[in-house]
Amino acid sequence: MFRSLAALLLLSTAALADTADGDALKAMTWDEVVEQARGGTVNWFMWGGADNINSYVSDYVAGRLKADYDITLNRVPITDAAEIVNLILSEKEAGVTDAGTVDLIWINGENFRSMKQGDLAFCGYTGLLPNDALVNWDNPAIANDFGVPVDGCEVPWNTVQFAFAHDTAAVAEPPADMAGLIAWIKANPGRFTYPAPPDFTGSAFLRHVFIHAAGGPDSLLGPFDQAKFDKTAAKTWAILNEIEPFLWREGATYPTTVTQLNELFANGEVAFTFNYDPAQFGLAVDAGTYAETTRSFGLADGTIGNTNYTLIPFNSPNKAAAMVVQNLLLSGEAQLEKAKTEVWGAAPAIEIGRTTPEVQDGFAAIKTHPSVIPAAELAKAALPELQADWLTAIEKGWAENVGN
Amino acid sequence: MRPDRLRLLAALALASFLILPLLPLAIWSFAHGWRFPDLLPQVWSLKAWSYALGPRSGVLQSLGVTTGIALATTILAALVGIPAGRALGQYRFRGKGLVTLLLLAPAFLPGIAVVFGLHGIFLRLGLVGTVPGVILAHLIPVLPYMVLVMAAVFSRLDPDFEAQARCLGATAWQTFRNVTLPAILPGLMTAALFAFLVSWSQYLLTLAIGGGRVQTLPLLLFGFSSAGRNDITGAIALLYILPGLLVILLTARQITGRGAALAIGLRP
Repeated sequence: MFRSLAALLLLSTAALADTADGDALKAMTWDEVVEQARGGTVNWFMWGGADNINSYVSDYVAGRLKADYDITLNRVPITDAAEIVNLILSEKEAGVTDAGTVDLIWINGENFRSMKQGDLAFCGYTGLLPNDALVNWDNPAIANDFGVPVDGCEVPWNTVQFAFAHDTAAVAEPPADMAGLIAWIKANPGRFTYPAPPDFTGSAFLRHVFIHAAGGPDSLLGPFDQAKFDKTAAKTWAILNEIEPFLWREGATYPTTVTQLNELFANGEVAFTFNYDPAQFGLAVDAGTYAETTRSFGLADGTIGNTNYTLIPFNSPNKAAAMVVQNLLLSGEAQLEKAKTEVWGAAPAIEIGRTTPEVQDGFAAIKTHPSVIPAAELAKAALPELQADWLTAIEKGWAENVGN
Repeated sequence: MRPDRLRLLAALALASFLILPLLPLAIWSFAHGWRFPDLLPQVWSLKAWSYALGPRSGVLQSLGVTTGIALATTILAALVGIPAGRALGQYRFRGKGLVTLLLLAPAFLPGIAVVFGLHGIFLRLGLVGTVPGVILAHLIPVLPYMVLVMAAVFSRLDPDFEAQARCLGATAWQTFRNVTLPAILPGLMTAALFAFLVSWSQYLLTLAIGGGRVQTLPLLLFGFSSAGRNDITGAIALLYILPGLLVILLTARQITGRGAALAIGLRP
């Protein structure tokens, strides 16, 4: 037993340890990196709750990696990226510096900040990827992940913008802006609720109310400012406490996850749900979860947009192969495939204008799902994401002043 | 009412109590959407099953991994549990109370308390993210059940039977094979059933020690249920129940010492 165990350990370390040295890779040309990557295995930890995203990764991405580079992609489904950040952190504490479990992780926001602050990310290599040229790094919404500079520590994968969904059979004309939504909530008791933070989506909804209370995002951009926060926070809690009696179950309880809100929406208990990725509405309609009459909308005063990324941990033993995966994900063809409505409907993280004419034609030919508001229409009223310190302050303040 | 009828009624009540909660899972797994206030889904579909049984979901692979881990854990637990149970059940020795307490500790310590320390140790040993690591970790909650049941079995076993066999010239192995094992087999089966099911249902330990790399069914199941995909959750959940059911059916005879209990109850 122990001998075979030891043999298994030896085998795994011998097979894995080839491209753990990130500095050596950074000194290579791309062709040399690809040569190193051949035959490798990439353990990609990603949220696994959507069967069509899973299929896109397991069929399309993994299929191309195997055919073109002989790379095996092992998709590891997870429920919360924060758990994986903790896993990598404990690996670092245990001195596992070149044989980590994770080769690639789908990430953004607070989890990226934790990775960067903890020196858990492999950085400064993204310029090596040929498809990096398709990324517009001059766009602050791409170069900053929730206000934290990316600094070559991760590669953009999708852009998303917050949107609301309603069932036209229940609510024919949705509110146009945040003030309208607040008025609607008061006029329709018990028909609205939002997930309690720290739920990712519930926290994003709070920021919309917060920005509304501040009269726009301009004064909230940049690093955290206690004085500004206190002023706006007082107004925000007042609004939220005022609508609380009009919420689902008179606000006595809040859903704890966006999944619960989605379930309430699917069963018609509440009139709206919302999501950072409007493509999810189309997926839910196709899965039969939501009614066919579901439509989505933005707000006239804007909704928050952000970018999500893939990141290679500092201790990944398969960095070269993981880089090849990232490069493939960024390619015009792969971005087009996942933008297709029947595949996923995710908005690209690259500049379509920089891709080949065929890919551009492909993007032009995409018909958005009728339940999904087109990204271009949403983008007409966009809000920037606040920096992570604001986020934590708002979540903490909500727990003390509203959710108590 | 005749006792037979009463027994039949009790069996039916028990069966429906156990089976009724599973019914929504079965319906969900064939539903293409099932919303309030519909009593039954409006559209039926095989999509959830074709995804769950298809190669890209990894469910079947995960079924194999989960079964393999549970079987290996059970066998290892039996190898440790039989001698340990014998020592506790048949011999008196100094510190027996303490040993029993230590063996029982994992059964009443919350799993989450064990996980953190264990993760650090397993990381240093290179066991995190490996199947052997997960099997070793599963032994922690499994062993108390195995040892306790075996201790009870051995305490009722008269050691004179073994002594007689040895007097009549049997070797140690022959004694175990022909005298001890048949005597302890029903108890061993019960303990093995517990061991298998405890390992089968582990979530936290597998998540932490497997580091996401060892995908057992509870992990996959939780992923879809937390994402609100009730149809796929239903399909995986039904697959998840199967092996446990199978093990119970296969071992029912050994455990009760007669045929399947329900069959007797249903006899006119």
